[in-house]
Parts: sequence; structure tokens; C-alpha cells
Amino acid sequence: MSIPLLNRRPSSGLGNVRESMADPARNIDWILMGCVIALNIFGAFIVYSASRPQLTRLGLDPYSTVQRQIAFLIISAVAMVLTMTIDFQLLRGRAEFLYGATLVLLVLVLIVGAVRGGARLSFDLGFFSVQPAEMAKVTTLLMLAGYLSDDRLDYVPYDTFINSLLIMVAPSVLILLQPDLGSASVLVACAMGVLLVAGVRIKYIVMISLFALISGVVAILSGLVRGYQLDRFKAFINQNSDDDALQNIIFQVKNAKRAVASGGLFGKGYLQGPLTNGSFIPVQKTDFVFSAIAEQFGLIGSGLVLTLFGVILWRIWRTAQMTRSQLGRFICIGAFTMILWQVFQNIGMTLGIMPVTGFALPYVSYGGSHIVAGAVLIGLVQNVHMRRLR
Amino acid sequence: MAAVNSRGRMTTLGGIAVALLSLLVVRVWFLQVVNAESMDERAQAIRTRTVRIPPERGRIFDSQGRIVADNERLLTITVDRETVKDDSVRAELFSRLSGPLEMPAEDIEIAFKSLRNDPLADIPLKVGVSEDTALFLRERGEDYPGVDVREDWKRDYLYAPLASHVIGFLGAIRESQLSLYLSLGYEPNELIGQFGVEQTYESELRGTPGYIKYEVDTLGNKLREIAYEPAIPGQDVVLSLDLAYQQFAEQALQTQLKVRQRTEAGKVYLAPGELDPGYAEVNYYKAPAGSVTMMNWATGEIIAMASYPTFDNRWFNAGISGSKFQSLFPNTQDPDQSILVNRAISGRYNLGSSFKPFTAYAALNSGQLPGGSTYRFKDEGTYTLESIDRSLCQQGVKCVFKNAVCSSSGSPCRYGWVDVEAALAVSSDAFFYKIGEQIMTQRNTNDILEQEVRKFGFGSSTGIDLPYEFSGALPSLALKKKLAESGAITEESARGYYVGDNVQFSIGQGLLSATPVQVARAYSVLASGGNVLRPHVVRYLLAPGTPDSKPGYADIENGRIIRDLRTSQVISTVDMSGDRREPILRGLKRVITGPGVTSDYYHKTTGEKLFANYPYEILPIAGKTGTAQGFNNLPWNDSSAFGSFSLALNRPFTVVAYLEKSGYGSQAAAPVAKCMWLAIAGQWRLPEVFPAEPLDVASTAVAKSQSMPNPQCLSTPYTGLRE
Repeated sequence: MSIPLLNRRPSSGLGNVRESMADPARNIDWILMGCVIALNIFGAFIVYSASRPQLTRLGLDPYSTVQRQIAFLIISAVAMVLTMTIDFQLLRGRAEFLYGATLVLLVLVLIVGAVRGGARLSFDLGFFSVQPAEMAKVTTLLMLAGYLSDDRLDYVPYDTFINSLLIMVAPSVLILLQPDLGSASVLVACAMGVLLVAGVRIKYIVMISLFALISGVVAILSGLVRGYQLDRFKAFINQNSDDDALQNIIFQVKNAKRAVASGGLFGKGYLQGPLTNGSFIPVQKTDFVFSAIAEQFGLIGSGLVLTLFGVILWRIWRTAQMTRSQLGRFICIGAFTMILWQVFQNIGMTLGIMPVTGFALPYVSYGGSHIVAGAVLIGLVQNVHMRRLR
Repeated sequence: MAAVNSRGRMTTLGGIAVALLSLLVVRVWFLQVVNAESMDERAQAIRTRTVRIPPERGRIFDSQGRIVADNERLLTITVDRETVKDDSVRAELFSRLSGPLEMPAEDIEIAFKSLRNDPLADIPLKVGVSEDTALFLRERGEDYPGVDVREDWKRDYLYAPLASHVIGFLGAIRESQLSLYLSLGYEPNELIGQFGVEQTYESELRGTPGYIKYEVDTLGNKLREIAYEPAIPGQDVVLSLDLAYQQFAEQALQTQLKVRQRTEAGKVYLAPGELDPGYAEVNYYKAPAGSVTMMNWATGEIIAMASYPTFDNRWFNAGISGSKFQSLFPNTQDPDQSILVNRAISGRYNLGSSFKPFTAYAALNSGQLPGGSTYRFKDEGTYTLESIDRSLCQQGVKCVFKNAVCSSSGSPCRYGWVDVEAALAVSSDAFFYKIGEQIMTQRNTNDILEQEVRKFGFGSSTGIDLPYEFSGALPSLALKKKLAESGAITEESARGYYVGDNVQFSIGQGLLSATPVQVARAYSVLASGGNVLRPHVVRYLLAPGTPDSKPGYADIENGRIIRDLRTSQVISTVDMSGDRREPILRGLKRVITGPGVTSDYYHKTTGEKLFANYPYEILPIAGKTGTAQGFNNLPWNDSSAFGSFSLALNRPFTVVAYLEKSGYGSQAAAPVAKCMWLAIAGQWRLPEVFPAEPLDVASTAVAKSQSMPNPQCLSTPYTGLRE
């Protein structure tokens, strides 16, 4: 398969005869692209502001974290372009292989993964580490969308529904074992979104919800959910608890809320946020990055970020509407629900309306795997958009 | 149509998305706009840390401006325990710190690990670094995370051990004091005045702590200063003490005690007349302790107050070990050896004959003596109680009271016909025995003597501005009952207040107990013509920050006086009109100058010989010796007392010396007082006062002993004088 984007000759004079309205290269959604790039760049600045104080205090180069972030962004840009170039119909053919490989990696990470904070989330590759859970977001989506679109039906029969669930549950359980409740919840959200649009009966959706609920209870009772995950939930239920075990979480959320609140309308100004500068909010550059935005740029900045996410979601939704391919639609819807869930959950926990779950704000937070995975998701959506006219 | 259904479901999904994003927007808007201010305030509260700035304690000066208690700024390098929790981080930091701190990293680690470190506070790594080092580290806070400079003050007593009992010392807040001082805003680890002026004037000396409020991060690292309230230094205290006199008094006291310890006392016999095997044939005076008080009788100011055994008050902040402290200040049940007792205000003493002037006043004021000062009585050497039936006397009740033994005759001195003036001059006991008996038996009330001497302040505390003052006790039935309860006297003897008790009382013996400062005040009442003063050691309090006039001296003349303690110190007055004061004064003058009385032969007054070479015309004085019984009655030597005052308005002083277990009043106490008077009269050079050498921590002496460069003033023209 040729790579049209790379083969494309520059436009000249009256134009390239090979160009047509349907040329994928001419159908890139630049608004979506622009929003993502804007978030990436804004994110890099925020990551710098949130990582600088601690680095300075440790006597390290204050730019070291943001430099890595920029490296990740470049890698993610390459990954996105690669994803865009490969026709998503062709990717469908590789879905089973990718999905299977992901499951293998998820099993492997449980065995040989690097331990960090009591969890095995990633492979440590020296310069950077890879989280297979982020990979699973893409491959599970591909697998699910591919499986559901094979039938070319506007509803989901019961056995298809069950198989779809199994596709989602297998990696989810492995991810839960790491344990990484956040990433698992993203897969569940993704599956729910795709199944909803695929035409699953409402009672099945209710079933998934019940399943999630029951498995949650079982997980807690069986001890699968570790103490701190339970604590996070407890801390969310009672945000003013005096329980010593919860104080770290409560402190984290309280300070995050304070940072948001102290931002006010216009914010304290870039690099001027006292709570951010004081490293008051643990894992601020990753999980609580929104608090740094809100403190430094106020309602204007947080509104802008929410707007950008809104536009991104709108463009993805629009692509899902426009594409004639059911596979493409399901891919877009999966990406849509995943991004929606991550944004809502991440910002929601910063604002104290969701319990604390450790995952990043897409496109903004510091991190390697999630930035690349997010870029690949956008790449898939662009892929669908570029080839929507086929 | 499939697509249509699918689109409808997508709209549902889109709706969910819009709802969720709207929820976020509403929440952000609520937090940042509606709720912003209250959250902001709470955010301020949590991320600040307040560092207390200890105030500089007020300094203490003597009346000449000498800086008696000063403060040394003490800079301590500390490290935050959380920052260096990690071993490798700590090792790295300490190796970088070892240069600026000029100590090996291992030693810093040892200081860090010390068990004496407060588990809650930052850990002191080096105490007493230079200003330069502190500045260096402060400026490089970023390079030395968690490292901080703590400012503190160290008290320094420049003339220690001079006047240690008066100045006092600082100590930790005791368990029992903790709740009080916490309620006053003290920190539990603060040092407070625990003795002397440091204790009495704690609230004035302490000052007000300031604070710096820092913005800090979660690790406790300071980010910037957001509020600063400087500490207000404490008020400066100007003592009425003059260190020149203080030093002289201490030197005279210690020299005289040493002299008396080498003087042979009489042999101690048991009741049957056998030599007491507990005492050697050659018995020296024990002379363990004593005090000298010099007071201004016009103002109540204490000019000198020496107490022995004394101590160096720098021991209390020398950082010595508990066992070292124990060896310096041993726990003792022996009152002779108690060090931390200011005997001038806490000594519980019999006064002996030095109490007689007040018995004389009681007799004159109550009209007990027919004809007042002209009343004459024939002193036959003994006095037999008239109110007791002879038969009772034969049954064992003590009816006969003897004068002291005259060395020339070996029997109780017989002074012949004496009036009140002569009775004081030669210290006729019989004269006062009679007063003691009849003032009780010939009156309707039994306590005339007690009432009269109370007017001079006996039996109640003087209110001096020093802690642990003993208020004294006057013999009465109530006192006897109290003493019996505590087991000091038998229940049997406490059944009533007897004539014998009052007879003892009249010559300052028995159950009477008073402090030297009470005696000084009482003599001052005689001197001033009736004013009962509140003695005090502090002249005034100055606004913080009195500048120095020259090295070692503060410019107290130009300090702003905040509280003046020189004024209105008269508590009450005693009627000295008519025939009350003059005969007493004449008697006390004769003690110094003579003449005595002639009965069989010439009896000198008790001070006549000692003061023979005293320049009376330069500074006229009056005084009275006193010998508190010990020898031959109690298993110890007599204690020696001498009360005296000047008769010159330009030098209105009272001097009281009391030397425990040192002999007759004229032998031990009076010579010390004489030295003081010679100095006051300008006839004896006061040794110059020099700041003390730094405290030698290895020393085993609780205080450097002091002796007079020239002890000649203590000497008497010849020995053999009796009271």
C-alpha cells in the first residue's frame, strides 16, 4: 500500500491531476488537528509550570520534564501521522493481531512490569516506559469496532453483545489486576459508547452497568481493589473526613480545589500560582494538571481548555455522523466516549465532583504512553475523516 | 432505516457529552467565580508557616550602669527533618554543608542523630555559628533545601558570681508552671526567670516574640516571606544594687566566714559538765553561711545583698550534664549547705540582742517603763520572774534568767543601775527580761510586745521584689500550735503561751524568727524616724534597647523610664515622737562609741572596742550586736548578728550582717558591718569591679571564692570583747 500523504506531489499551477475531492490528504480535519495541537502546546507550558518548582528545589534542570514532554509530543505526532496514513479498513484486518498482542503484553506487565507506587503499570525501557494499558485503549477499540461492524446490522444481537462484552472485559480485568482502575474504566466507557451507538438494547446497557457495579463490589470484597483505591472512594464520599488514612487524598483534592478557586476569573498569571509553585498538589503535572491551568489562567484558561475539548468532541462526533463506514463510525464513537470519559473524570476529580482515579488529562498532562495513545486515537479519527467519502 | 436509528443514538451520546461538559463548566464557574474568595482565604491558611522570633530579653544594669545581665545573639543552623528523610539526600546535603559549617559531615550526622533533639522541631546542626555563615546559608537557600538559621539569645551574666542570688537565672518551665506559662503565650521550651530579679520581673524582661510568616510548600520549604512582625525586646531593669558595694560585701562576708572557721570556739560540754564526745577538744566555729544586707533607709533600695554559700548563675545555661549539675548543686537536707537560698530574705533566724531596740520601743511606746527613758533598773546579772510563784520555781519551772557570762569574772555580767539607753549599750539582758515578763503580766492583753514589734514589720514579709521571701514568725500561742503540729516543738509545750516565752522573745530568742532584710527594714524605721519601707532591689524599668555609654556600661541616665520604683515605698509609719526614739538612738550610738557602764568595774559597750578606730565624726552610725544562742544550749555555735544604720542624711544606709554559727555578734557580724561602714564613709577603698572570667566548665567550684584584698578592716584593736 502506498502512502498517499507522503507520495503526494506539491500542488502546482492548475493542480495535481491526482488530486480529487476524495483524496484523503485533502480531507484532514484541520479544526480537530488544530485543537489537539493547541492543547498539546498549552499542555507543555502547563507541564513546565507544574514541574519547575520541584525540580528547582531538587537542584535539577527545571526544563528537564518539559523537554521529555516535547519529545513525547514529537513521537506522538509521528504516531498520529502513521496512523492517519494507514487506511482504517486495513487496520481492521490487523485488529485481532493487535488485540491479541495487547493481551499478551498486559499479562507480561503483570509479571515483569516495573513496580511504581505498588502497581505494575508499565515496562521500563530505560529512557521511557510503556504502559500497555494505554495501548489497550486503541487496540480494544479497533477490535470492538471491527467486530461490531462485521455484521452490518443496525442493532446488536444478544450473542454479539456478549462477545463484545468479552472483548472489553478481557483487557479490563488484566488492567484491573495491575491495578489501574482508571484505565479499566476508560475501556468500559468506550464499550458502552460503541455499543450504545451500535444499537444495543437499553436493557443490555443496564446489564453492563449492573455488571460493572457487581464486579466493583466483588472486586472490593475480594480485595482485588487495593486499600488506596477504596480510600479514594471513601475520601470522595466524605470530603471532610478526619480519618488519618484519607488525609493525603483529601489534602490533595482540597488543595486542587483551592488552586482552581484561587485562580478566579483571570488567574494568578503564568508561573505565578502559589499552590502550583509550592508543589502543594501531588502528581500535579499528570493527574491534577487542570488545577495548574485553573490557578494560573483562571476561568479564562480553564474555559478555553474545556472549549477545546468540546470542539474536539464535536469534530469527532461530526466525523462519526459524516462517515458512511460503520467501522469508521464505531471507531469515532469509541474515541469520542473515551476522550469524553477521561476529560470528565479527570477534571471532575480535580473539581471534587468525581472520586480520585489516577489518569491523565488527554493531550495536556505530562506522560509518554497516554500522549501517544491519545494521538493515535486522533489519528484514527482523522483516518476516518480523511476517507469518509469513500 | 439503519443510519437514521444510529444517528438518533448518536444524538443521545452527544447529549450525554454536552451534559457532562456542562457540568464541568458549571463546577469550574462555581469554584472560580462564586466561591473564589472563601476558598482563597482557606488556601492562605494552609500553606503558610509561622516562625517565631524570640525577643531579646531585657538587660539588667546595676545602679552605676554596669551591664550585669547581657544577651548574646546565638545563631543555630537547623535542618528540616522531612527534607533529609532520605539517607542519600542527607549524606549529600551534609557533605555540602560541612564546608560552610566548618565541621566534618560525620559530625553533622552525629548532631542530626542526637537523641536530645526535639522530635517536632527542626534539628539543630550547629549552635553558635558566625553571622557570615548564617548569611551565606540564607542567601543560598535554594542550594541547601531544608536548611535554616534559627536566631536565639543566650543570657550572659558578666559579673557572675556577684549578686547571683539577687539577679537570679533562667531555667526551663517546670511541669507545674507549664499551664500558667502556656496561657501567657510562652512556648513549652522557652526559658523563664527561675530565681531572683529574673523571676520577679519575668513579664517585663521577657519582651514580646515576633514572627515571620512564610509561604511554604508541602515539603515545608520556604517560598517567600508574607508577613513579618519584629520581636519587641524586653524592658531593661536598673537595679538599686551597686556592684562595688556588692562585691565588697561578698568579699567581706566570705573572708570573715573563713576567718571564723579558723577561730577556736569554746569547748562543748554536755549537761553533766562532761566534754561532748561529738565535738573535738579544739572546736572551731563552723561559720558555714551568712548574709550582708545594705539598704538605703530613706528609699528602701537595697544597695548590696550578699548571701553565702553562693553560686555562679552562669552554670544554669552552661549546658552541663545532669550529673555535673548534681555535683555542683548537691541535694542536701543540711540548711548550712543550701546554695540556692538567698539567706538575706529567706534565712529564718533568731536575732538575739539585735532585737532589743524593738523591745525597748515596745516598752517606751506602751508606757511599760515608769518614767520612760529615765526609768532605772538594777541589773544584778540574773533576773527572777516575779509573776511566778516561788513554789512553782522549785518544782522545775524556769524562773531565773541569766545575763551572758563576762569573761573577766566568769559569772553573769552585773551591770548595776541601767536605764534603757545603757541597757542597750551594754546589752543588759536582765533589763529586757523584766520588760518581757511585765509587759505581758501587767497588761490586760498578752500580746503587747508582739503588736509593738509588728509595727516594725516583723512577722510579715517585707514585699521585697525577690522570690522565696520568708515572712518571719513572732512567738504566740498560734505559732506554738502551728509548730507543734509540724512537730518542731512538743505538744506539751504548745499548750499555752507562757511568760517564759515572752521573756525569750524580749531578747530576740525563742520562737522569734526573722530574715536579715526584715531586720534591715526595722533598723531603717529607727533611722528614718518611723517610715516602714518596702525594700526593693530594682530602681526602675527602662524602655527596651537602652544604649551603651561605654563598653560594659549602659547609658541609664538617658534611658526612658517606664516604671519608677523609687517613689512611694512607705508602707506605714511608726510613732517615733517624744520619748520613744531618742533613748534608743542614744543607746545604739553608745554601742559604737561607748561609754559603757561601771559596776564593780568598767563594762565596755559591745561595739566600743571594735569601732574604736572608726571615724565617727565623718559618718556617725548606730548599731546593735546580737548573738543568737547556740553554744552551750544547742549543738552548734552561736550565730552572729549586727544591725546598724547611719545618722547622716547624705548617706542614709542601713547595714545588717548575719553570720551563722560564727560566734558573738561583735566577733563575726559586726566586723563585716564595720568594713561596710568604713567603705561607705569613704575611709576604705572599694576594690574595683571587673567583669568575670569566662565560666570554666571543668571547674568543680559552684562559685569562684572571693576574698578581700585587704582584710584589715575586719580586725579589732584587740580580742576578748564580749557582747
